[in-house]
Amino acid sequence: MTTTSGPGVDLKAETIGLAASLELPLVIVDVQRGGPSTGLPTKTEQADLLLAMYGRHGEAPVPIVAARTPSHCFEATIEAARIALKYRTPVFLLSDGYLANGSEPWRLPEMDSLADISVPFTSEPNHTGPDGTAQFWPYLRDPVTLARPWAVPGTPGLEHRIGGLEKADGSGNVSYDPANHGRMVQLRAAKIASIVSDIAPVEVDADEGAELLVLGWGSTYGAIAAGVRRVRAKGARVAHAHLVHINPFPANLGEVVRAFPRVLVPEVNMGQLSRLVRAEYLVDAWSVNKVEGVPFKAAEIERAITAALGGGDPQEALGLCLEESSLAVSQAAGGANGSLLAGGGASNGNRKGSGASPNAAAPRPDMEEE
Amino acid sequence: MTDTATPVTTRKDWASDQEVRWCPGCGDYSILAAVQMLLPELGVRREQTVFVSGIGCAARFPYYMNTYGVHSIHGRAPAFATGLAVSRPDLDVWVVTGDGDALSIGGNHLIHALRRNVNITILMFNNQIYGLTKGQFSPTSEVGKVTKSTPFGSLATPFNPVSLALGAEATFVARTHDMDRKHMMETFRRAHAHKGAAFVEIYQNCNVFNDGAFERITGKDVRSSMLIPLVHGQPIRFGADGEKGVVMDSQGHARVVDVDSVGEDALVIHDEAREDPGLAFALSRLANGPYEPTPIGVFRAVAKADFGSGMAGQVDKARREPGVEGLDELLRSGSTWTIG
Ligand code: SF4
Repeated sequence: MTTTSGPGVDLKAETIGLAASLELPLVIVDVQRGGPSTGLPTKTEQADLLLAMYGRHGEAPVPIVAARTPSHCFEATIEAARIALKYRTPVFLLSDGYLANGSEPWRLPEMDSLADISVPFTSEPNHTGPDGTAQFWPYLRDPVTLARPWAVPGTPGLEHRIGGLEKADGSGNVSYDPANHGRMVQLRAAKIASIVSDIAPVEVDADEGAELLVLGWGSTYGAIAAGVRRVRAKGARVAHAHLVHINPFPANLGEVVRAFPRVLVPEVNMGQLSRLVRAEYLVDAWSVNKVEGVPFKAAEIERAITAALGGGDPQEALGLCLEESSLAVSQAAGGANGSLLAGGGASNGNRKGSGASPNAAAPRPDMEEE
Repeated sequence: MTDTATPVTTRKDWASDQEVRWCPGCGDYSILAAVQMLLPELGVRREQTVFVSGIGCAARFPYYMNTYGVHSIHGRAPAFATGLAVSRPDLDVWVVTGDGDALSIGGNHLIHALRRNVNITILMFNNQIYGLTKGQFSPTSEVGKVTKSTPFGSLATPFNPVSLALGAEATFVARTHDMDRKHMMETFRRAHAHKGAAFVEIYQNCNVFNDGAFERITGKDVRSSMLIPLVHGQPIRFGADGEKGVVMDSQGHARVVDVDSVGEDALVIHDEAREDPGLAFALSRLANGPYEPTPIGVFRAVAKADFGSGMAGQVDKARREPGVEGLDELLRSGSTWTIG
């Protein structure tokens, strides 16, 4: 297990790729902070999700587990370790500055009540060579989990070499064979994808007849749950689902997101989970963002939901979007104003809005420009 | 450790079934042979032996050993080896690396593994070039070296790996070369026996991209006048008839002299066990490169607590803390309260 607040993931991406290739367990805890670069080292952000998902060269899929409250960190850590050990893979455990600095009452678990996640090491050869000798093949997989056997140094007769070079399926010897590489890429992907049958379905807290699903992950749990309670108190009907497993997604997530006409995804980033959901399920997930180094407030979620239900723009309702004109640059040729934002697309920025109006915040005077 | 007698092995038992894929004539072959011939003499077991490497030609080494092994990533072999050696003190952990791997991207990991005195044996093949990537300058390439990546000559002062290791206060530092199997085997034997981090620089010929880099000192005909054997407790002398020797001048620099001109009593008596690495460092500065008389053998071998033993002691102490028998107790040892 290793920990970082983000830069360590950049720096050690090569090691994470090696763990994916060696197919050995590793839990990478990323307590996300504001970026890029040194960014806001002590502030919170959820902007490393796509880094965890894709931040390696080559095809190197890695499971992702996200904690949602300070006390949930305990369970989420065990879950990350369970997956890492069982499937012999690096696993990302995503937390963030808000969770790490947060606290709440936590009912101490009895250790006896926790599932046993220990793995037996291999101690016997698993293959017979052409000459009849007993051999150990480090990449002969379990047919169900696709995990490879794990023999540790000190085990007589199972001496073997592994490394970052592509390995022949089964024997684990270095192989540059094109078909073998294709097969290994697919096997590594299939192994991670197969974890879907070993994780809990996402729970949905839905009102009868709800037309809007608020989908979150990580530390936004408290704010989203409270925001949902607030709109319900005013008579609105909504649903809330909160992801713990982000790679692979729970088996029922497709069904869940397609069951509601509108899906709202609030994130403390520029829209990372929403991209994954859109790509995976081809649904029009609506991203609501705030990237200011501070968590969402329940009132902000309430405003965004209210706007979405009323046919308005939830992002505008947050008062956090830059006006297009405020990003305009003066163009030397012709003196015309050009906009950095093309075609009036979603404009997510970090202007502090007044937050007073449920529909649109007044732009800051110094940003007004015509 | 196991209590049954160590089985008798031969060189063949330590060779894996994989075809060795270095260029024909590469110095790596003789280093591999020296290691495979030495291991049967050490009374060690194959399953207790692990070779860890980074990236480069040398890093292929673990694939050829019938032991446990891992071919890791650029420069990080010492980091992997540290984790293994600290968590599994029962194992014999070897690191095989090259000048590029160990001294460029891996420079940081190397000095810290040495400084911490992790119980590992590091064999650094120095061929003064990037061989695997087909001939770019390395951190040990000489100033002015023209390579594919230095078309007008290298501008950077090369590392002297022995000086670097001594600067990091490595507790065992030695140098040997790929033309002398006996010397390699003796040096590796000493390095392996050392408790703590042992660093061995091996001058290795890359006959494809930097052929003859060490010929001026390791060639059979020049060896006696160009290699200075370091022998603990003995005056430092070399030359066909021992006519050359090493003295310390008034400035604290080691200098090569004619023994006749100063008398044998003036020669430095080599003391590898000296706590202060100063003498060893001065000896490492005798040659600026493999074209001057160069010391080989053990520069420094001092006893010091190794990192893993220290850490095991801390873990053991923490485990024996009253009230923290297990996780249940540990969790309940702080500020907790009961409801209802
Ligand atoms: S490139 Fe040089 S160092 Fe590498 S295998 Fe060939 S001869 Fe040896």
